[in-house]
Amino acid sequence: MLTGLKRAWESRAARKFRRNRMAVAALAVIALYLAVGLWVLSVDGLKALGDSTGWWNVRSAPLVDALSTEQAGAVVGPLEEPGFGIKPRPEERLTAVKARLDDLGKAFRLRARGGEDREARIRAALAEINYGAVRVADRPVEELRAQWEAVKRQYDTIAESPNLDRDPAALPALRDLEAATAALFTEPGGVRGFLQDFRLSLGTDRQGRSIMVKAVYSIKVAIQIGLVVAIVATLLGALLGAAGAFFGGWVDYFVVWLYSTLSSLPDLVLLGVLVFMFTGSVFDDVNRPYLSLVPLYVAMCLTFWIGPCRIIRGEVLKIKELEYVQAATAIGFSRLYVLIRHALPNTLHLMFINFSLLFIAAIKNEVVLSFLGLGVKSGTSWGLMIQESTQQVINGFYWQIGAATAFMFVLVLAFNILSDALQDAFDPKHVG
Amino acid sequence: MWSFILRRLLVSIPVYLGIILIVMAALRVSDPVYAYLGKNATPETIVAKRAAMGLDEPFLVQYAKFVGRIATLNFGDETSPDPRQRYESWKYAGQSVGLKLRQAVGPSLSVTIPELMLTTTISVIIGMLCAYFRGTWFDRATMALVVMGMSVSVLVFIVLGQKLAGFSLKDAFGIDWFSPSGFEPWWERPFLAFPGDPAERLWGFIPVASPALAMWRYYCLLPVLIYVVVGVGYDTRFYRAVMVEETGRDHITTARAKGAGRAKIMFVHMLKNAMIPVITRVMISLPFLVAGSILLEYQFRIPGMGKLIIDAIRDKDFPIIQAFTAVFAAVFIVTNILTDVLYALVDPRVRLS
Amino acid sequence: MPAGEPVLSVRGLSACFRTDLGVVTAVDDVSFDLSAGETLAIVGESGCGKTVTSKSIMRLLPERNSFLSDQSRIIYHNRPRRRAAAKDRLPPGEIELAHADAPTMHHVRGARIAMIFQEPMTSLNPVFTIGWQLDEALKYHTDLSRRGRRRRAVEMLRLVEIANPEQRIHEYPHQLSGGMRQRVMIALALCCEPDVLIADEPTTALDVTIQAQILDLMAGLKARLGTAIMFITHNLGVVAQFADRVLVMYAGRVIESGPVRDIFHRPQHPYTRALLDSIPRAGNRHRGRPLATIEGIVPSLLNLPGGCKFADRCPRRRENCVEREPALEPGPDGRPVRCYYPHHEPRVAEPGGRT
Repeated sequence: MLTGLKRAWESRAARKFRRNRMAVAALAVIALYLAVGLWVLSVDGLKALGDSTGWWNVRSAPLVDALSTEQAGAVVGPLEEPGFGIKPRPEERLTAVKARLDDLGKAFRLRARGGEDREARIRAALAEINYGAVRVADRPVEELRAQWEAVKRQYDTIAESPNLDRDPAALPALRDLEAATAALFTEPGGVRGFLQDFRLSLGTDRQGRSIMVKAVYSIKVAIQIGLVVAIVATLLGALLGAAGAFFGGWVDYFVVWLYSTLSSLPDLVLLGVLVFMFTGSVFDDVNRPYLSLVPLYVAMCLTFWIGPCRIIRGEVLKIKELEYVQAATAIGFSRLYVLIRHALPNTLHLMFINFSLLFIAAIKNEVVLSFLGLGVKSGTSWGLMIQESTQQVINGFYWQIGAATAFMFVLVLAFNILSDALQDAFDPKHVG
Repeated sequence: MWSFILRRLLVSIPVYLGIILIVMAALRVSDPVYAYLGKNATPETIVAKRAAMGLDEPFLVQYAKFVGRIATLNFGDETSPDPRQRYESWKYAGQSVGLKLRQAVGPSLSVTIPELMLTTTISVIIGMLCAYFRGTWFDRATMALVVMGMSVSVLVFIVLGQKLAGFSLKDAFGIDWFSPSGFEPWWERPFLAFPGDPAERLWGFIPVASPALAMWRYYCLLPVLIYVVVGVGYDTRFYRAVMVEETGRDHITTARAKGAGRAKIMFVHMLKNAMIPVITRVMISLPFLVAGSILLEYQFRIPGMGKLIIDAIRDKDFPIIQAFTAVFAAVFIVTNILTDVLYALVDPRVRLS
Repeated sequence: MPAGEPVLSVRGLSACFRTDLGVVTAVDDVSFDLSAGETLAIVGESGCGKTVTSKSIMRLLPERNSFLSDQSRIIYHNRPRRRAAAKDRLPPGEIELAHADAPTMHHVRGARIAMIFQEPMTSLNPVFTIGWQLDEALKYHTDLSRRGRRRRAVEMLRLVEIANPEQRIHEYPHQLSGGMRQRVMIALALCCEPDVLIADEPTTALDVTIQAQILDLMAGLKARLGTAIMFITHNLGVVAQFADRVLVMYAGRVIESGPVRDIFHRPQHPYTRALLDSIPRAGNRHRGRPLATIEGIVPSLLNLPGGCKFADRCPRRRENCVEREPALEPGPDGRPVRCYYPHHEPRVAEPGGRT
């Protein structure tokens, strides 16, 4: 095993691959994405474990908890806020202030009910209010209320201005108002403060969720789908293709018939039909979100095995005619042994290349299917983010589509460079 | 040649029957009526729906009947009083499946045919230039651009294209060339008109106008352009590889030794040889012309085949899904045969037998 | 054209390739003359620069990764000569080809210097008819009408002894055998009556019987048309039968040259001698002796040894051989040789090879 690895490391293709600096960088990027994906996956796992056994509550460690399914759905700030600390238009800033003041107002308007007295109810309501880690300042209710009323008056005077966007004179007042509003709340410090900055770094979506957290979380979804689909489809295709080519006869006839049948429908239609197949089954159950990706996996695997199957069938057909394979058969080794010992290892490089290509295809198709409403149903993904952002784009808000595109671009570009480099490295026609 | 086509058609029949079998079986894995009506449907409505569609019959009977439908190209007649004869879409009651399919062909083709022609021409030319200037900055820059373009989701091109050309162009510059979405049957308008009003004249003085083409431009040009931008990336890479392979052939050296100029070598010697992979690629994409560009039609609300099938899948409109896949597979098989015929026309080494 | 006058003079030709590992000089400082009506054979092992030399003269090396050195001179002597309806766009006198512009090369290639290649199976364009491909060359270089070109094409096919030329011109290359295709290539090369024909191993890929036919054909055509031939081969038997003069190349350099009789009977360079000794011969005298071979392999162009390139395979090697490369200077015979210790004695004295 070790000598095999060593031989692979020193092989001509590997040396050629290592000389390609772009390819090595691409590999590093892929490794980074993989690490993030695994991180999110394990945080979710720990959380589920902690919830069911009470062993360790991940939520008590904010840094660990920062990237998880739950956090990707959490509201962290005002709606549709730009990232990079860029201030929105004055009108939108005013709206954001109003939203916070209204939230407080709702709490202050509460009356005593049942056994609870009024102040306790208000206190409870105030404790409920949070924008990510931003919470209502911990002060006596009456003091807060007086402060809130003062800010509210300040707000009303500014709100009289017909159009704040065209009225630069009102800007200092607006700034004062924002400061006064901020004084009603406590900004988190330390780790929580850092996390809050991180969450707001790419802005927020229409529900006030962090775009950054969503985009990073989607890495997990992409890696999950990419890995499962690429591995299963490559192996399935390789096995069927190799078997068809090697055994010939009706096996080959069946394999060829199967893939020509399936490839006579466009991928997207086939995927759609296969997803349709699962409607109403256990996998379509809202209460079992963890099963919701299964139809997607099955549909993509059943569609994507065709590519590797064709290529590996062709290669094995060629290898079968090679002298050493013929010799091995002539000596009397069983056909299955010859297939596994001689034919398949020689298609390994093709499997690598196909794996890389299918990974890209899986990620891209997940995005497209999610966009069409046929893909990811629970949590989020780059496809769902882009789908959500179509309306935002029309209104001129580009942060969500930008984040999803950028994160996806880096991963897909890395895989594109990787598969090009692999093809180059394994191409016997290239000297060097 | 005709005997070849006939023979190939006969050979394809079992393959086609197999496709239909697989599709029909796959669509019945989970009960389509139940999926469409949902959990709250009463048993009576479910039974009635099943009977209207013939889903209560044994599978093989359904299969035979459906194959019969395909053979007679009868996908329903909405004027018939018998619900079985009407073969209606579930979602759009009163419209037969055949009508829905027929209506969708035109819009799809108005986008996909210009797109395929433009994409292929542009990418063959760029591919040829890249192969010719292999290794120079032009080649490197183009290929880097192509790989980067390929790494961005198609959706981004569509969404941003729609915003920039469909909305921003109008808002910022007052240029109202592209509709952000929608479709009208442009072919129903006159192709030629002679407007008397100078304002309607082309560039103010050419007294000829084409209301049909103007409408096509308004609704279809933007999707076509977006599709071209996306497609050129993929195709250029492919055609460049083809052309690089062709530049290395021995007969190209012979042609140079004869004294042939660069243009002659590129456009005569290389191109005719390269036509074989080009034809393959174009023919492979032909059936997908009919299927339409699903995403574009979906986002631009063009009522073509792509939007039809996606809406049908989303609405669980079983009759449409079944008929669409059957028709599409047939188109696919026919174009495969046509591809072989075309090969024989381009490559003298290929003989139809 | 009067025989004996040079039609092509090559001076200091160096062809370089840019590779990942730096610039490689595949042909280094090669000079020779080719006279009208003469046959010059360039001989050497695979990878010694024969083909690169011929392609440099035609300027067919890929511009992307190769270039000729600034000192390289390839002079074509353009003498007015009556050709059948030729488009004569080249000025009379000496024309330098090593750095000539593209239009000049288009007029030279095919019309003045033509070339046939090693692989007849792939050298013809598979998607055009034989007639089209002949017609193309005639279209570039002659003023003939469409019908005239057609007549000329048929005539050329008849000249290269293809039966039924009227039908053959409508056929595609895949319908012809290898030998037939090479005949078509010869017809293609000669149809514009070039002054020089470069034949790059034209018979290597063919059956032995076909080889002989093709060689006979070329010899006959040379006699009839008076074309000078530059014949590239590694087959010394062909050289003895066919060539007037011989240029022996090794590792991109000329190591010896001279008339064919001298080269065969009095080879001066150890390499030439070893090459000749490795030809198998018939006859009792040689029975029972092992066939002589040359030890070792041609050095890689990527890291050539400093001194004589043949030194590490040479039986006559002495210390100074590896220090400095010998120049190409007149040897004991008066013919140029690139060796410090050339052979003086004729070769017949030691038949069967070195010890």
